[in-house]
Amino acid sequence: MTIDPSNVVVIARREYVARGRTRTFKATTVLLVIVGLVVALAPVILQYFDKGSTGTTIEVSVGDSKPTVDVAAALNALLNVSPTAATTGGSGGTGTGAGSGAAGSQAPQYRVVTTTDIAGARLRVADGKSGGLLIVTRNAAGELEFAYATKASAIDRTSLLVRQAAGTIAVQDRLTSAGIPPIDQAKLFAGPTYTVQAPDGSAPTGPSSPDGFVNQFAGGFVLAIVLFMAIILYGQWVAYSVVEEKSSRVMEVILGAATPFELLGGKVIGVGALAVTQYVIVGIPATVALLLQPQIAALVLGGTAGSIALPAGISISLLLAFGVFFVLGFALYAALYAGAAALVSRTEDINQIVAPLTLVAAAGYLVAVYSSTGLLDPNSKLVVIMSYVPFFSPYLMLSRMGAGLVGPLEVAVAIAILAVSVPLAIWVAARFYSAGVLMYGQRPSLRLMVRVLRGRA
Amino acid sequence: MALVLENLTKRFGSVVALDGISFRVAPGEVFGFLGGNGAGKTTAMRIILDILKADSGTATWNDQPTDRAPRATWGYLPEERGLYPRMEVLEQLVFLANLFHIPRREGARRAREWLDRFNIADYATRRAEELSKGNQQKIQFIAAVIHEPQVLLMDEPFVGLDPVNVALLKEAFLEMRNRGATIVFSTHQMEMVEELCESVVLIDRGRVVLGGTVRDVRRSTGRQVIRLAVDGDTELTWLAEVPGVKVVRPGLDYAELDVEQSVDPETVLRAALDRGLRVTQFLIADPSIEDIFIEKVGRRPTEIEHLAGVAAAGASAA
Repeated sequence: MTIDPSNVVVIARREYVARGRTRTFKATTVLLVIVGLVVALAPVILQYFDKGSTGTTIEVSVGDSKPTVDVAAALNALLNVSPTAATTGGSGGTGTGAGSGAAGSQAPQYRVVTTTDIAGARLRVADGKSGGLLIVTRNAAGELEFAYATKASAIDRTSLLVRQAAGTIAVQDRLTSAGIPPIDQAKLFAGPTYTVQAPDGSAPTGPSSPDGFVNQFAGGFVLAIVLFMAIILYGQWVAYSVVEEKSSRVMEVILGAATPFELLGGKVIGVGALAVTQYVIVGIPATVALLLQPQIAALVLGGTAGSIALPAGISISLLLAFGVFFVLGFALYAALYAGAAALVSRTEDINQIVAPLTLVAAAGYLVAVYSSTGLLDPNSKLVVIMSYVPFFSPYLMLSRMGAGLVGPLEVAVAIAILAVSVPLAIWVAARFYSAGVLMYGQRPSLRLMVRVLRGRA
Repeated sequence: MALVLENLTKRFGSVVALDGISFRVAPGEVFGFLGGNGAGKTTAMRIILDILKADSGTATWNDQPTDRAPRATWGYLPEERGLYPRMEVLEQLVFLANLFHIPRREGARRAREWLDRFNIADYATRRAEELSKGNQQKIQFIAAVIHEPQVLLMDEPFVGLDPVNVALLKEAFLEMRNRGATIVFSTHQMEMVEELCESVVLIDRGRVVLGGTVRDVRRSTGRQVIRLAVDGDTELTWLAEVPGVKVVRPGLDYAELDVEQSVDPETVLRAALDRGLRVTQFLIADPSIEDIFIEKVGRRPTEIEHLAGVAAAGASAA
């Protein structure tokens, strides 16, 4: 089989131009640009909507129970306790704004106010203006009693936190009643130092804090999503393009001028180039937004620039690996999508014939997601082995690399295996393609595929 | 310098598409490739073009296997017409020319020239799907000739065109021949064969039934045909009394009679005049290609086309 590279270029060019002009391409590009910007600016957007919100209001009525602790301040300290900074400035009064020092620049989750108007407070809870009302009374035995009025259920997170806080307040009240002098409340309710360890006492492998989690997430995981989307979306484009040529019968004209191999190669390259174009169009504004996030945040939220940290999980070497996996992974899948699509003659049949490929792609993607979010141990045998298998390695090696679990050698081995399997996939696809392109009206079956591969069709 | 097919065979599963086909097309000739689609014409053309591989036998052009000739040697108008529906006409032609290594600018120039010539210059920037069937077909024809191939393989180039466009296409056809191209085309319009072809080959069920120059083929049957028209008599019942003469095609304007070799055609004329009839037309000719087709294949060409559809479906299902 001789290959005329200029024909490959001509076909790729047509594919690129024709597909780039379609409404589908333009629509998806616009959509993806918006998605990219939203994702890049998500922290700013979230904070913008949180700005001015002072969190859920919890009203407290102490009546004539005369608790020995400032219930509102204690509740405020206990509810707004943060794992990183557990000190509050609760100092009597109503306790409003007492949680301002709770979690860095973040607004406090709860705002605690005292009230004497129980009926009014109940109305506010019913209206949803307040999250709940805690009524403190003292019974005949001298014990504090708590009643919590809320629209949420008893096992709602807030309800549980309030209950926990009530217990702590009750203990403190009993201690004071028993004659033990009250200690500084801020110190009393401060969270203790608490770490999670691996069985051998070393630091745990998983993310230790939500921030660390976000970084790992952003590293391999986002890139795996991008890759998966490219393979599914653009692989389908290749498949559609093949079937369009078949159903419009233009295929035979083209085959008079070019070999099936050239046609296949040109298609994959053309659509691949378009994919890269779309990703660049989407990537540039998203990257700019990401880099300018501090400035944008300053502009939108007020305050000084630099208050928001960038996710630090993306490195140059990871991006390079992503580039290689993107190109090879796309070539592998796109060639097979084209080969499979050549076996059907109507666009309605495409989904059916490419379903196995889409399933394989989705499987690799899901394992990558599960292992990078900790649902699946990224060091388990299954994940390690799968990260070398060509169909899965683009996702898995990438996410493992993003998590910092593999060295350059392992990545290189996975890339080498993938690189070898691409020509093999193209050979198989070209086989399907040259047999399939002139085949009309047949129902694709496994037998047919086997026969095609053995060159008997 | 000739296109030679030798003993080509091709099977699709249990269906034999070509059963040892051999014929020779002289260079610069207009060659009629006759027979229904199911007869194996399309398969033979695809083998010549290296779209399909033959099971055995050879196809050669200038003593070289056809698959070794550069693709630009061939211009192909397939039986199943196809253009990119959403691509503009001019762009489409430039793309196809480009596949034959004609630079885009030159391709555009040639495409415009052809469009102009076929009176469809206005459609250059229209999408193919917006064009009528006839106009699409003209585009398809241009696509097949834009790179000035040495050999043109055309499956039913005239079907679906109105008489004005048939004339345009015929003219283009002959011009290609005058430029030195060898033209192989199939058609079911037998008068087209008589008008354009120097030689023909007729195949049926994958075998060559007969072949040669149109003249030789028409004379080969050893029969003669008389066209006879008599004023005021379309029935011609009296012909039953003339031995060795048969009405093969009665008609209102004239009837076609089959006359045995041993019978002098003049006996028919004499018989008419003896009965006092006014003869308005009397013509002695060789049998038409259509008659020979029916005689050899047993069906009319158009009927074959219908059967061919069934056979083609069977072949691809195998």
